[in-house]
Amino acid sequence: MPGILVVAEQHNGQLCDVTAELIGAAVTVKSRIGGPLRVLVIGASVNPLSKGVALAGVDEIQTVQTASDHFDPLVYEQAVMAAASQDKPFLILIAHTANGTAFAAGVAARLGAGLASDVFGLDVEGELIATRSAYRNKVAMELDFPGKDIVVLTLRGATFAPAEQGGSAPVSPISLHLGAIKGASSHIEYQEPTSSGIDITKAEFILSVGRGIQNKDNVQRFEALAERIGAVLGCSRPIVDSGWLPKAHQVGQSGKLASNCQLYLAVGISGATQHLFGMKHVPVIIAVNTDLGAPIFDVATFGTTVDMFELADALQRHFN
Amino acid sequence: METRELFWSLTPNAIVLFYVIGYGAIAVFLYGIVRHLVKYYRGRSPGKIPSLGSCIQRLLTDLLTHRTLKKRDRYAGYAHMGIFFGFLIAAAGTATITLEYDIIYPLFRIRFWKGDFYLLFSLILDLGHLALTAGIVMMIWRRAAFKLPRLSYLRSYKGETELRPVAKLWKLEDWSFLVVLLLIELSGFLQEAVGLMVDKPEWAIWSPVGLVLAKAFSGLGMSEGTAASIRGANWWMHGVLALAFTAAIPWYKAKHIIAVIGSLAMRDDRPLSRLPREPEGKDESGVGCMSDFSWKDMLNFDACTKCGRCHEVCPATNAGYPLSPRDLILDLRTYNDKVRGRSEEGVDLIGDIIAPETLWSCRTCGACQEVCPVGIEHPTIIVQMRRHLVEQGEMEPMLQTALDAIANTGNSFGENARNRAAWTRELGFAVKDIRKERADLLWFVGDYASFDPRNQRVSRAFATLLKAAGKDFALLHEGERNAGNDVRRVGEEGLFETLVDGNLAAIACAQPFERIITTDPHSYNTIRNEYPEFGETPLIEHYTSVLADMLSSGQLKVSNPLNKRVTFHDPCHLGRLNGGYDAPREVLRAIGCEVVEMPRNRENSFCCGAGGGRIWMPDPPGKEKPSENRIHEAAALGDIDVFVTCCPKDLTMFEDARKTSGHERDFVVMDIAELVAEAVKLGTLTPENLPPIVERLTDAIASRIADVVSARLEEMLGRFAPPALTDASAVIPLPDRTHPQFDEDTVLQKQQMPAHPAPEPATLPPTKASTPSIEVPIASTNWDNPSPLQPAVFEAYAAPEKTGIRILVTVKNVAKLGDEIRFTADGRDVVSDYIQYELNEWDDSALEQALLLTEANGGGEVVAVCVGPEEAEQSLRKVLAKGADRAVRIWSDGLSNADPLVIARAIAGIAKAEDPDLIFCGTQSADNAHGSTSTALAAILGLPRAVVVESVRWDGRGALTVTRELEGGIKEILTMPTPAVLAIQTGTDLPRYATMKMIKQARNKPLEVVDGSSAIDGVGGYRVRRMYVPVRQRAAMLEGTAEQVAEKIAAIIHERRG
Repeated sequence: MPGILVVAEQHNGQLCDVTAELIGAAVTVKSRIGGPLRVLVIGASVNPLSKGVALAGVDEIQTVQTASDHFDPLVYEQAVMAAASQDKPFLILIAHTANGTAFAAGVAARLGAGLASDVFGLDVEGELIATRSAYRNKVAMELDFPGKDIVVLTLRGATFAPAEQGGSAPVSPISLHLGAIKGASSHIEYQEPTSSGIDITKAEFILSVGRGIQNKDNVQRFEALAERIGAVLGCSRPIVDSGWLPKAHQVGQSGKLASNCQLYLAVGISGATQHLFGMKHVPVIIAVNTDLGAPIFDVATFGTTVDMFELADALQRHFN
Repeated sequence: METRELFWSLTPNAIVLFYVIGYGAIAVFLYGIVRHLVKYYRGRSPGKIPSLGSCIQRLLTDLLTHRTLKKRDRYAGYAHMGIFFGFLIAAAGTATITLEYDIIYPLFRIRFWKGDFYLLFSLILDLGHLALTAGIVMMIWRRAAFKLPRLSYLRSYKGETELRPVAKLWKLEDWSFLVVLLLIELSGFLQEAVGLMVDKPEWAIWSPVGLVLAKAFSGLGMSEGTAASIRGANWWMHGVLALAFTAAIPWYKAKHIIAVIGSLAMRDDRPLSRLPREPEGKDESGVGCMSDFSWKDMLNFDACTKCGRCHEVCPATNAGYPLSPRDLILDLRTYNDKVRGRSEEGVDLIGDIIAPETLWSCRTCGACQEVCPVGIEHPTIIVQMRRHLVEQGEMEPMLQTALDAIANTGNSFGENARNRAAWTRELGFAVKDIRKERADLLWFVGDYASFDPRNQRVSRAFATLLKAAGKDFALLHEGERNAGNDVRRVGEEGLFETLVDGNLAAIACAQPFERIITTDPHSYNTIRNEYPEFGETPLIEHYTSVLADMLSSGQLKVSNPLNKRVTFHDPCHLGRLNGGYDAPREVLRAIGCEVVEMPRNRENSFCCGAGGGRIWMPDPPGKEKPSENRIHEAAALGDIDVFVTCCPKDLTMFEDARKTSGHERDFVVMDIAELVAEAVKLGTLTPENLPPIVERLTDAIASRIADVVSARLEEMLGRFAPPALTDASAVIPLPDRTHPQFDEDTVLQKQQMPAHPAPEPATLPPTKASTPSIEVPIASTNWDNPSPLQPAVFEAYAAPEKTGIRILVTVKNVAKLGDEIRFTADGRDVVSDYIQYELNEWDDSALEQALLLTEANGGGEVVAVCVGPEEAEQSLRKVLAKGADRAVRIWSDGLSNADPLVIARAIAGIAKAEDPDLIFCGTQSADNAHGSTSTALAAILGLPRAVVVESVRWDGRGALTVTRELEGGIKEILTMPTPAVLAIQTGTDLPRYATMKMIKQARNKPLEVVDGSSAIDGVGGYRVRRMYVPVRQRAAMLEGTAEQVAEKIAAIIHERRG
């Protein structure tokens, strides 16, 4: 009997937002794929986690009890293999995250399954169709999986609508002997980014700078501008990689989500996927970039190609 | 008898004493000279040495005319002329006396220093000394009263507030040189005067200066007795001072008297416009220590008189960058005085003596060498040291990116080479391709004029002018690549040579043509002066002289004289380096412009700041850029309408500078071709251009309508017939020729097809069918035979014996699309012509971590593995050049559409044979970003793994300590056993740079090719159903000046934020 298996993602005992999105995506195709929608929860504290995934459309919650909540790809791979072998689903959905990508392809390789990653579109038209980007996001590619009895997909976060509350699926534990896993890693610690007093996730107005500012010495100028116009200073990944601003300022997948932002001023940011991830949902986005072809203009509400330094000076004057 | 007694009233002992002092002085002098010669001997050969005849000719011309000294400083020029010729006469006089007194008379008993000869000699010497004295006095006055900033040794650009000890010594030597020389002169005249007072010869009138002084002394009441005693004492003073001066010459700044002979004679006849090639058979590139300099360079150091002319004209110095050409040469000289041509253990010439920032500040504009009176070639010295820096990978990340882009795509914009002639599409006519059709003129366009939107407008203007003048011209289209002028000046000699080879090969394969023309002075310079050293190069002409010809011959008729007041900026590479001063001015006058010269014009033009690769490096904020300095100069002329350029980089720099320096309203910046187009009224449509434009317009409208209709049709059809690829008879709304995106003749333009990383599901194109009305489960899973993937088996492959740590690094040659693409007929991929390839940056980071880890462990082997066709070897060579020891390339044609699972199987096959301790993969590939290969590889091999790894610590034996990057900026630190597979994230350590020379040398490293057909086994993880360009929403663009846009943004902020 076919079905869908969703692997819940958690960090340190807390469910991640992407889990509800995976379930939401599964719900939209469930009727066309058929069979039950099962959610697999892996962790030390499976009970509270199970409650969190009991969302609308979920038919069964399976749990694998582990010694720790810290992620180990081999443990996850083994757990998914066990759940999959038991129920033989057609589709396995995993988050396209630093953890999800560490075992999804492993599951696919061990099952000889179909595999597509970073999927942002999911459909069934007589067969399963997954859409993802190709060639540096310049084109989209639609994939199918002919001859595959099992398909593993990793789904892009902040893309699918999360499943709604209101489910009441039964919980059934899967017993798994995990002591036999060879090569498991040992978690030492997590390091949270130093906050340096700012919180991107809470900011309502963010002025973000990118590679376009060219030089470390320019950071100050925009720091001052942000203060003048009442914005929190954010930045894209290259600025942090170059050591020009602390990690806490980074907006994006490996930085912070601008979750409460209402107005986003992106200066000198071209708009790599990983940055857009953190801000494309903001209601009003103003993009400043001299390259008219920059992807940031595809998510921005307003755009301009004027020189960012001149603009900064002019803005500064307006807020005097 | 008319003569003079040399040793007047000296006792024989005194004469002996004098000779002892004299020989002593000569010995000290000679010892100094020999020390210099030994030092020069330690330098390497300067390569090409000009013929002796031309050396002497140039030397004599420069010395006799004093051309270089009078340049833009006539006062100093004439003063030095007095000193130089006076000194020459004085030295000749002393030599004549010595010749007679010490050589000819003792040997042959002949005296000639007497009679009429003596009188003439006396007169000439008197006048010579007078000139010398006048020169010295002028120089002393200049130093004391002129307060010339260029004579200050305070390095304010480095934040110095007081002179360093060595600079105080420089001041001392400057003054002592002049004062001692003056004392010698004055004591000489005094000696002459008192001699005349005592001897009263009849021929005193032949020593006019002495006579005047003697009369004056007598008039002031000096007695003969006093004169005689002064004569006795002053003789010694004069003699000893003169001998001391002679002895000291090689030991301080006076050494320029000798070094300048070599420096001027050895001067390159095309300095900087034709840089020297790397000496043959040298392992390391450029100059990294003193002994890497040639003896000619060392002569340059010693010839410097600290006159500061270079300091005054240098755009870097003027803009406050940490470079002064004078100080650079002085630092090199001071250091060379210490090491005397040898390299010194534990001291890095670049780093400890000369800062890398100093070398990177240079714009290779050549102003310093042009103005240098002693023939120092500063830019050549700088470029040689840059070659060393580039080889060490010590450069701005932005510069490294630009060089990588040029190496990968042939242009600094990193654009697909196919787009090189894209700017011609908006012309009303097709431009010939010289590779297919013959033409009179081959236009070498250059990167900026081809890819930069502002300069593309100029290119179109010039193309239209050529067409209007009936010129038969063609382009190399994608056969052209960056000419390499600036790449060479950055110091990437290997890449330069590759570019030259490529361009010369393209030119050699071209259909017949007469000559090359170019709109780019940088390309002009290198093709004109440097390419001939590499192969047969046709004549090249800059477009300003083509324009001048077209106007003077009447091929272009000025119907609209502009009556504008303009100023013209001489590009360094056209003017100073190639003497192209007149053509642009003729053009401007011909189109009715009044040319107002800026104070710094022609050979004294002031660089825009973009040369020498600086256009690829960021300028620090808060400093006035050279281009802004120049714009202020133009603005000061008052009432200028246009600032005219004839160089794409100039246009770019000055367009910016005009805005940033606050002169936006004062004048506009325009290229000379745009002005000509205005003057010959090409702005309006000419009848002969009309038909093609109408044709193109109707074409465009027709295809637009077709797009809309076909999209609507597809949407309607899709509703009734959902796609089913498995059913061959079904209507498949896959890319077909009616859809614009798959129409082979439709080339998608930048504006229509911006890159977009995150299309929402909601924005998918209409081909996506709506939900089927009947919901049927699609599959009943056959779970009976899950078939785990196994490593591919490469029976013929055997890995060498392991001798230490072995790290496998997976390498992908990733695809890069330009701004326009076309899909294959089946719509499942992009036509390969539109794809260029380069080393995946994540794999570059993985390699860097692998190399750092082996280096930290004192050795080990790094093996690169790649699945790819032969072209992928470009990336493998790069990886080998950076430090990998071996490479393996797996290929079979069936792998061309391989997905991560197939790739992982193939690499697993090699990994089985290699048995590595670690496998490093990039976290993802830049093109398709699956992020799956490393995990699949680990699972196939049954190995532990960590993905998105920032850094790795390992002692080579125990467990690995790994730092991973999670979402939200959280890091996880963990330990894991080996062997293991790690997927490495970018951003931790900047990957090292491989010069083209290193890449070429890497050809000697082993690269094994493995037949990959056994890796293909059934299907991979997916099949591509179709590809398409997502429809995108676009931002509403705010137009206007920065000020106007700021106002609009401020309004949005106020509205949203209150």
